[in-house]
Amino acid sequence: MDKYKIMVIDDEKIVGDMAKLSLEQEGYDVETFLSGEAALERLREQKFDVVVTDLKMKGVDGMEILKTVKQLYPDVKVIMITAFANLDTAIEALRGDVHDFFPKPVKIKELKTSIKRALSNQV
Amino acid sequence: MHLNKVIALGKKIIRDTFGAGHVTFKEMFARFRKVLENHNKAIEIIADMGDKLGGDYIFDITYIRNAYAGLYDTLTESLASFDVLTQNRYPQLKDVLGRIDKEIRLLVYKNGDSARLIETKRNQSQLNGRRPYFYKGEFVLPYSALTWNMAHEAGGKNANLAELKNNVALDIPDAFAVTVNAYDEFMRHNKIDEMISALEEVKDMYPKAALDKIYTSILNGNIPSVLESALDKAIEMFRARYGDKCYLAVRSSAEAEDREFSFAGQFETVLNVPLESRAVQEAYKRVIASLFSDKATAYHQQLGIAVGSVKMAVGCVLMVDAAVSGVIYSTNPNGDAGTMIINSTWGLGTSVVEGHTDADFYLVRKGTEPAIISKRTGKKRSMIVGREGGGVTEIQSPAGMTWQSSLPAEQAMELAKQAMLIETYFRQPQDIEWAIDRDGKIFILQARPLRITAGDKESPKLSFSHEGTIVLMKAKGNVVKKGVGAGRVFIFKHADGLDKFSRGDVLVARNDSSDFIHVMPYASAIITDTGSLTSHMASLCREFRVPAFVNAGAATQVLKHGQEITVIVDDESMLTVYDGILREALEHERYSLAAMEDIYEYRKKRYVLRYISPLNLVDPLMERFTPEGCKTMHDILRFIHEKAVMELIDNAMNGLKGQAAMKLDLPIPAGIIVVDIGGGLDNTMNRAAGSDSVSFEHVVSIPLRAVLQGMMHPGAWHSEPVSLRVNDFLTSMMRLPDIAYGNDSNAVNNVAVVSREYLNLSLKFGYHFNMIDCYCSETARNNHIYFRFTGGATDMVKRSRRIEVISIILKEYGFNTKSKGDLIIGRIANMGRGDMEKILDSIGRLIAYTRQLDAVLHDDSKVERYARNFLEGIYEL
Repeated sequence: MDKYKIMVIDDEKIVGDMAKLSLEQEGYDVETFLSGEAALERLREQKFDVVVTDLKMKGVDGMEILKTVKQLYPDVKVIMITAFANLDTAIEALRGDVHDFFPKPVKIKELKTSIKRALSNQV
Repeated sequence: MHLNKVIALGKKIIRDTFGAGHVTFKEMFARFRKVLENHNKAIEIIADMGDKLGGDYIFDITYIRNAYAGLYDTLTESLASFDVLTQNRYPQLKDVLGRIDKEIRLLVYKNGDSARLIETKRNQSQLNGRRPYFYKGEFVLPYSALTWNMAHEAGGKNANLAELKNNVALDIPDAFAVTVNAYDEFMRHNKIDEMISALEEVKDMYPKAALDKIYTSILNGNIPSVLESALDKAIEMFRARYGDKCYLAVRSSAEAEDREFSFAGQFETVLNVPLESRAVQEAYKRVIASLFSDKATAYHQQLGIAVGSVKMAVGCVLMVDAAVSGVIYSTNPNGDAGTMIINSTWGLGTSVVEGHTDADFYLVRKGTEPAIISKRTGKKRSMIVGREGGGVTEIQSPAGMTWQSSLPAEQAMELAKQAMLIETYFRQPQDIEWAIDRDGKIFILQARPLRITAGDKESPKLSFSHEGTIVLMKAKGNVVKKGVGAGRVFIFKHADGLDKFSRGDVLVARNDSSDFIHVMPYASAIITDTGSLTSHMASLCREFRVPAFVNAGAATQVLKHGQEITVIVDDESMLTVYDGILREALEHERYSLAAMEDIYEYRKKRYVLRYISPLNLVDPLMERFTPEGCKTMHDILRFIHEKAVMELIDNAMNGLKGQAAMKLDLPIPAGIIVVDIGGGLDNTMNRAAGSDSVSFEHVVSIPLRAVLQGMMHPGAWHSEPVSLRVNDFLTSMMRLPDIAYGNDSNAVNNVAVVSREYLNLSLKFGYHFNMIDCYCSETARNNHIYFRFTGGATDMVKRSRRIEVISIILKEYGFNTKSKGDLIIGRIANMGRGDMEKILDSIGRLIAYTRQLDAVLHDDSKVERYARNFLEGIYEL
């Protein structure tokens, strides 16, 4: 079976790097992006099984990613992470059909569990 | 909060408080509590940062910034209260804090991602001319004066090697560092700094002519006289110590070398330099010039580092007259991570380092007893040797040596063990240079992190078979640092016993303690029966990445000293201890640690902790326990806390002034008066009208109650005088009033200053003094006991014996003690309220018991006996 493909978007390199390393240990295929623009471009040509994205980014932000993903691939789960955790953004994100929402720093173990859950919910 | 604001705030508070010209002890005490409060907050932030940056969380710079801002504010507030408390006795602390803060801000707030002093090309022009320059310090420093975080002053390589030399029992040749200050001075003196500032890139390239000019200007530069005399002094010292037949290896040690970036092989090393002024100066210039060589500048550019932004310190290391030298990779970079590689060749190691020779090779299985897996003997046609009078030369290997192995198996095993020590110490695979002299003695010449790319390999799953393994212990408690460790159990009794601790042991103790620092880097794991997640020890465990678990319950009872165990501290606040060493579990651990360390961004971001969490000021009795000795935020906190306690002790007697004093009526004639500064006495309880005395029932001060209970313990207080021998009697007569009879005359001297949680108790019985200063609250971290005992009426020998008895007893309770003649000071801290009360009760008994103890200590054999008796609850004299 092919590996699940996970996309990680964050404008800080360390987030992508750490996520990539830990998720690859779980056997996923991970691609990381430093901007929403680059991620959207890639999304148009390639479907991912789960998208993990930062909420606040310059330019294309996490909400826009979420919207696009849902348009292109309604069944793909989006996990939102953000440094600016507050209730409003969380509620907005959840309304937008986000699979999970984590404030940063996010515990790697919890992220892994969340991804596993997202994948098992998929048909 | 900005530092200037803090200073202003401090001054304001001082004005407000001292303006009236008088500070009551009550006010001081309030400041003390403020210090404590902020201290706790700060320690919690440090613990959280250690946790979040420990590899289990994905974090970003915003987290670091917010956490640090919180830490800084808390610390400055603490400092403001502290300054009031100490009436500004430690003004240097502000400078120290300012210095550390600047370092951290450089890391955390600079544009983009560039590491500390390594500027991106774009930033260079802005930064030139206003490079932070903190230390107008030394030009030359002996390795013994270096600590790990002096990488700015001494360069990464010097700092690493000095750290090893000063902390790990390995043979490392003596050395001195020529600092970054010296480099700055040299560049300024020869106006080369201006040439560097003027460097500009043309189409992403530095003009070669400009670089060459800098290079030759350094080689032809003059050594400034201040630097010359510093170098001469160091050379003289080495001559005096090792004779003038010695040589030096003069090596590069750039600021970030071996820390952020390896710069491996980029800079020059000059070997076999005679111990002469001129020769050392020439070698020094060659090494710093190599910063601007074609090779090094190309490397700079590849990394996107501006040329000139990295500065160069130099290490002058005593040459080992090497019969054999080589290199070890403490972890095999391209294969089984449970193995290591040793290369060796005849003579000096240059050829191995540069890959010039067909060296001998060992593949070794790591472990407490390393084992050779395979070996190969290379064809060593030539060797490099030192020349008489300086320099090195390549010669033909003497007949018979070409195919002869340069490294016997026993020496390979010894090297393997040393390499594992170094890897354990730095918690990272190491690239180690070594040499064996003509007497067969092994020397470590250099150790730098070995970067291993984990590649696409998936980590081995932690799925070893439980069959045949016996679970010795499973406990729920608190995870300080998760991980796996294995080794022999070492049951900790008191700090004195720690010199018997062997590397790789698992430390098992009743309470956590920062005393463990001396062995912590070598411990495979630490387990304590009780303890806190945010103690100094906990921070240190995170810093050293030692798997550690506190509140394990009865580990000291379940585990046997010397037994081999494997400890697994997992995520779910669970500790599992297996019988024996489980190799598979260990290997998994090694893999996952190496992998995260592998991420450059992670290493770089995590670097900030170096200025935050390590604790250098462990022992308040050590010489370096000064504001200047503080190298990290944690150190400053520790310093403030310790000195705040001391301030309180020194001023507790002032509590008497202007306060209502109450006589304390007790069944024993202790003659204590109590001064309540808040919540220490119950005022609601009925007292005889107009009475100026209270009884035990009125005492609600937690520590005073506990001590009194001990003093009144049946049998502990002897009301009958112990008969003195004639000479003691004479001694006591010489010292005036009677010691043998009632104590009522002491009333004025016996004072307890109390609050609900605080006690400062000064007792004078006859000729000896007891003093307890104690804070006993629900928060373990806040708690301390300081106990001092001094004096006596008998002769010095007997008084010293009494001190010895007290010392044995205090140590048994876990006190850190220091004694001299008839004085002993014991300290203990960071302990829960319940344990504190028990100890205070015992101290109360001890105070009662020791009143006349000296009189019966006729010979040394009695010391142990009376100490034992006391500990067993037998109080007869």
